[in-house]
Amino acid sequence: MERTVNMTGFLSSTIPVGMGVLGILIANFPVSLLAGAVPPPLFVLMPIYFWTLVRPDLMRPSSVFFLGVLQDFLSGGGATMGVWTIAFVATYAAVDRGRDAFAGLGGLLAILGFATAAFVACGTAYLVVTFLAWRIVSVVPLATELAMTILFYMPIVLLLGAIHRRFVGPLRREF
Amino acid sequence: MANGVWRLGRGRGSTQLPLALAAVFAVALLLLGRAQPVLFDRARAAVTDKMSPILRIVRTPVDATSRWIAGIGDFFHVYQENARLKAQNARLRQWQTAATLMDERVKRYQLLLHAVPDPALSSIVARVIGRASHPFDQTIVLDAGKRNGVKPGQAVVDGHGMIGRIFLAGDHTSWVVLITDLNSRIPVTIKPGNTQAILAGDNSPTPNLENFSQTAVLKAGDTIVTSGDGGFLPAGLSLGTLLKTGGGLKVYLLADPQNVDDVEVLDYKAPIEALPAPSVNDLPAAAAGLPPAPPPQQQQTVAPPRVVGLPTSKTQPTGAGAPPAPKSEPKMPADDQTPGDTSQDQDR
Repeated sequence: MERTVNMTGFLSSTIPVGMGVLGILIANFPVSLLAGAVPPPLFVLMPIYFWTLVRPDLMRPSSVFFLGVLQDFLSGGGATMGVWTIAFVATYAAVDRGRDAFAGLGGLLAILGFATAAFVACGTAYLVVTFLAWRIVSVVPLATELAMTILFYMPIVLLLGAIHRRFVGPLRREF
Repeated sequence: MANGVWRLGRGRGSTQLPLALAAVFAVALLLLGRAQPVLFDRARAAVTDKMSPILRIVRTPVDATSRWIAGIGDFFHVYQENARLKAQNARLRQWQTAATLMDERVKRYQLLLHAVPDPALSSIVARVIGRASHPFDQTIVLDAGKRNGVKPGQAVVDGHGMIGRIFLAGDHTSWVVLITDLNSRIPVTIKPGNTQAILAGDNSPTPNLENFSQTAVLKAGDTIVTSGDGGFLPAGLSLGTLLKTGGGLKVYLLADPQNVDDVEVLDYKAPIEALPAPSVNDLPAAAAGLPPAPPPQQQQTVAPPRVVGLPTSKTQPTGAGAPPAPKSEPKMPADDQTPGDTSQDQDR
């Protein structure tokens, strides 16, 4: 019985990070239906934001760091390694600090809350890349990615909510 | 939306220390990536090699769907497009005739002037099997790698002009950094006028022109081609035309790197000539009719520094007084070898 509880607890703890990994794999698969006309959304940011608010014990800084490393590895390689890791850690810090304010938002304001978090992530990444390149980098691709991320958040958050209700919530006794 | 629906879980203790550690490790990762990017790039190339069969399979239906989506609007302009293409075809036939005549004339002039012809280029045709269009990374994946002769640094062109360079070559796949990418720098020539400049990508569809002479007279529509400086790229590859904007000079690219399907990887090798080893008679003392200098004492012998570009002889001196003689006489070029032809020196 104890063993079953431990197993279910382990499974519940891997779902948020697993969703992040899935988002990274989808976004960074080098085949695009739109032939690369627009950058893919930052799918990984959605589980990070969602579970940082709902269950921060399942989305720890170490998990965010791991997801950032994976995103960097698959999206840019050596030259931009660490950029998204820093951006995600900064976003996590911002959301964690303002958790009460973010968590109280509902409806369209909740989307605005996510948009703020996505802006922090993209803004941090932009600043880091601009600093590394030491010149002004075009902001258009990043702004497009930000817009795509916010656009896709609306349907995806419903999916994340369903997964949370169905799998994550019931598996944890202390919730 | 979701935030008001679910109860918030309890935080387990403070996250300050783990967060600080994550931030420190993230910065360390950034520095490591800048110092040793090859480590991560090699791993990425290995992952892409493993994924290449999946990419090829997935690419086919996605390509078909993508073309279908892009072609929806074309149905409404078929007649106009047909008329435009016919007119363009007629113009291009005239240009083809002119180009053929000019090409023959240039060859004739080269023969008359004994000019060194441009080195011949071989190429490898490859198919694009993947695209990574990220804000800070604009690359494509090709289905040709080291086993097909692809090497980092080679130029990648399509039917319109250059689109990028190979920056990572796996066994079966290779990554191309597009000329629009933030990390792309290409030495170019602006024609007419032969003004030298650097084409620098900034992740926008129109890269910047930098480091050109401030006294150069440039106007919109000038042609941009590769200059060949540095010996990594052949000179004269078409890139685009000059655009003057409020923020500086930009280049409107002839090729569309984001929509290319089949490309050519140019195998260009700068014609660097290795000097033949000098014979004894070529030494200044022998040429002046003087006896050769006595050999240095064995105890005082100091190994001469290696000279880059000169082949070193592994043959040991046969006697104490014998100068280091070359193993064989300098090889004369073959009769059928044209100037600049390095095909017989591939194994140097």
